[in-house]
Amino acid sequence: MRKSFLSENPSVLWFIAALGLFTLMVTLLSEATGAGLISTSFVKTLGKTLCLCLIAIAMDVVWGYCGILSLGHFAFFGIGGYAIGMWLMYARTEGIVLESLSGQTIPPTPQEISDAIGNQIFGVVGSSEFPLIWAFADSLVLQLLMVVLVPGLLALVFGWLAFRSRVTGVYLSILTQAMTLALSLYLFQNDSGLRGNNGLSGLQNIPGFESTPQSTIAIVFFLISAAALGAGYVFFAWIVSGKMGSVIKGIRDNEARVRFLGYHVESYKLFVFTITAVISGIAGALYYPQAGIINPGEIAPIASIYLAVWVAIGGRGRLYGAVIGAAFVSLLSSWFTGGGAPDINLGFYTIQWTDWWLVLLGVSFVAVTLLFPKGIGGLFDYLVRKQP
Amino acid sequence: MRRFFYAIALCFGTIMAAQAQELQAILQTHADEIAKPSRKTVNVALEDLVASGLPTVPGFLEAWVEKSVWQSSDGQFFIGAVEDDQINLRDVDSGAETTADKSDFKQLKPNGGVRRVIGTALVQFQLSDDNLTRRTTAVASIARRPAADQLAPLLASVEGEPDPVLKARKIQLANFLSTRFADNPEDRITAINSLAKDTSVEARSVLNQILQSSSGVAPTEPEGNIARILDPMQAPDAYYAQLVEAGFAPARTGPPVIRAALEANIVAGRVGNVPLAQLGTDAARERAYAALAKEGLAPPLVTTQTRDHALGEYVFYDLYDEPNAEITAAAEAALASVEQRVAFAQAADLALDGLSLASIYFLAAIGLAITFGVMGVINMAHGEFIMMGAYTGYVVQTFIPDYTVSILVALPLAFAITFGAGVTMERLVIRHLYHRPLETLLATFGISIALQQLAKNVFGTQARPLTSPDWLDGAWVISDVIAISYIRIAIFVLALLFLALILFVLKRTRLGLEVRAVTQNPGMAASMGINPDRINMLTFGLGSGIAGIAGVAIGLYAKVTSEMGADYIVQSFMTVVVGGVGNVWGTLAGASMIGFLQKGIEWLNPSNTLAAQTYMILFIILFIQFRPKGIVALKGRAAAD
Repeated sequence: MRKSFLSENPSVLWFIAALGLFTLMVTLLSEATGAGLISTSFVKTLGKTLCLCLIAIAMDVVWGYCGILSLGHFAFFGIGGYAIGMWLMYARTEGIVLESLSGQTIPPTPQEISDAIGNQIFGVVGSSEFPLIWAFADSLVLQLLMVVLVPGLLALVFGWLAFRSRVTGVYLSILTQAMTLALSLYLFQNDSGLRGNNGLSGLQNIPGFESTPQSTIAIVFFLISAAALGAGYVFFAWIVSGKMGSVIKGIRDNEARVRFLGYHVESYKLFVFTITAVISGIAGALYYPQAGIINPGEIAPIASIYLAVWVAIGGRGRLYGAVIGAAFVSLLSSWFTGGGAPDINLGFYTIQWTDWWLVLLGVSFVAVTLLFPKGIGGLFDYLVRKQP
Repeated sequence: MRRFFYAIALCFGTIMAAQAQELQAILQTHADEIAKPSRKTVNVALEDLVASGLPTVPGFLEAWVEKSVWQSSDGQFFIGAVEDDQINLRDVDSGAETTADKSDFKQLKPNGGVRRVIGTALVQFQLSDDNLTRRTTAVASIARRPAADQLAPLLASVEGEPDPVLKARKIQLANFLSTRFADNPEDRITAINSLAKDTSVEARSVLNQILQSSSGVAPTEPEGNIARILDPMQAPDAYYAQLVEAGFAPARTGPPVIRAALEANIVAGRVGNVPLAQLGTDAARERAYAALAKEGLAPPLVTTQTRDHALGEYVFYDLYDEPNAEITAAAEAALASVEQRVAFAQAADLALDGLSLASIYFLAAIGLAITFGVMGVINMAHGEFIMMGAYTGYVVQTFIPDYTVSILVALPLAFAITFGAGVTMERLVIRHLYHRPLETLLATFGISIALQQLAKNVFGTQARPLTSPDWLDGAWVISDVIAISYIRIAIFVLALLFLALILFVLKRTRLGLEVRAVTQNPGMAASMGINPDRINMLTFGLGSGIAGIAGVAIGLYAKVTSEMGADYIVQSFMTVVVGGVGNVWGTLAGASMIGFLQKGIEWLNPSNTLAAQTYMILFIILFIQFRPKGIVALKGRAAAD
């Protein structure tokens, strides 16, 4: 089975090889493990980009293969980030609090410790009580379980409700967008229990590894992200190939016909929606320790639309297209908005890319949709097919 | 109420009868207090002056307040005005004018506190002044600082009040004062009962002042007008703190107290014979503390049991400041009745709020009802058309300073500009994507972010003002509880106009007929001689143009920023979806539901509009599960897909 799967999908091997080569190169050039030609912050950017590629292939499976334009997958990404962030923040604050309390003559009671941690974390929103959702924050294992379970359950319930009542197409997009908006608005409140618009911060400090330099942590996270992307790629390639993949693609092309053939369309859609949500959560849990901070603004509906933009530019319906799109657009975006791109002097007006990048992105997006519906990945296909 | 009031007025009026006397003589009796007044002593002089009833008193008091009373070296008082070295003097009684050398006279300069006391005395004269403004000011000053001694003069002045509005106000104010300061308890109760229908803030505060109470604790139930006996078990810790404050019980030994006591009594690494290292739990700490308490090194431990026992020994109560129980009972009853009325009024106010929010949503969504609802085109840049309309209004205002004219120019101009933008967009982009709705969504989203950033580049990131004309300022105040700003009324009217306009265009015109034909079956429509391209273009332009006009209206009510469109886009889509696609009435129903629902949820949790929005969206998501086609679902052939 495995052999035939790989031989049927040569692109998987190509992708794994390319990813491996890239990872090896970055490792050899990084500060911690190699020549030091790549700065730690750029290693982090690359690591974050790999996480974005992972959620992009999830998005590609749900949209490009199954035809569900979900504008809510970045919400699952954010939930994953919050879940891991809770543990990171709790464990680190606990370490700090224990250290400061150890100087006292009388050993602290568990109540005192928890009060002090609560004060540290929630002082910023004028509270010191631990909300119920932090009940498992002291356990890494349970929070890692949350990374998978919370997005999965949310997607399962939401998807079950939506697919059951046959909400499809644009309506489903608007509904998922509404879900994202509701979640981000909820998190913006101070009494949401997740520090309102302050979000969770200091996530780049990994408890237990305080003395490890950030350059090492960065490269470790980069490698984990690369491994996750590779595993995710193989996993999704396996899902979309074979008989099940054909059903999924059939649903995209003509849902009614697949239903008439006797397939239970809702179950397939629900499965794809949920499994991609889980992978999105995992991607988020890897992304935010590298970003260092998560706040409700990250979950805003616009982020999920950008995700769709990456996939569309990269080329829907091909996994490597999603990876190319996410990597290309997000790196280009940080190059333009970070002031890396040179200003263009037109004589009467100077185009500053920090101001004009979004205009360029918007226009090029329209152009891609209209002129190259297959995206960059389509170009790739064209070249590959031309060679032999 | 009126009859009661005149009865009181009559009996006070007789007291005001005055006996003839010279003002200067009275002034001389109190020469010291008047020349060097203090807030305490000045009252004696003022009482005599007021009691004299002389017509010259108010003039003198006014002059005194204005620091134009002068005292001669032999102690006589004059009203004077300085002119170079000379001083023009006026006799306080006869009013005869003389001129004298300034050096022989001393000016009286009462301080601020004294001037206020004089002012209060002056009020009763001003109440019957010939000048309406002065009378109004006097009444307002009584309303600001009500006092017992103002009741009599206020009542006395009502009879001769020529202005009907002010007279009504005086009667109302006299009534308020009577509830607290009338001598006779029956009169007070009558006055209180008359307030039972008055929902004004002022009347409620009067009743609340009567019902002011102070809480206390005592071993037995105290004498006096007890408002209520409290149950300390409702919040034992808070009540125990009150007990401690009153000195009836020892302070609570909470964890911090125990900790401090333990830290203070460490002997050779042990406290109360418990090793320090074991003190990491509350139980161990309490054990160590108990040992300390046994040795007398610390006050005994107050456990939950001892606390509850102590609370049971004492009576916690609220005591009315007003001693007469009948009056407080009447006030309670009146307040209950007032509050019931206020609740009704608040419900009405809430309904108005909901209505105005609904009309804003309707206005924002009505353009979408055409482009998305009728044509089925997802236009994510719809919010940016709203923004373009608002910026058009702003730019027009920078050229035309008259706000009324500029709004009248801006409305059609905004329509024209966004109509043009809509048509351009339809021709260039949407036309090619009619069969790929999801891609329309993404392409228009691209246009949306480009337009937003363009607006940011052109107009900057800060909010631009769009000022409404003067006649739209202010609010229509129905009562102290119900009020609605004119601008919201205008938006409501505008929403109604649009509803009528769109229904007319769609149902009664040739264009509307062709639009409906093209949306139902473009092929069949084309074979009937309708040009679907042209109709799609015009329809999309119409929807966009209406978004532009909505933008001007929303800009008047909210700030104009490059992100204002994005704020409305998700809500607008939900309005259309909830209402039912393809039907303008559906959009109206959707906007009403969302508007009223949001206000309703906000009312349940007023501190948190974010939570209200969250719950509302969740509700909508659930609602769509049960009615996927919206409130007004199309049936038959029109609902083909």
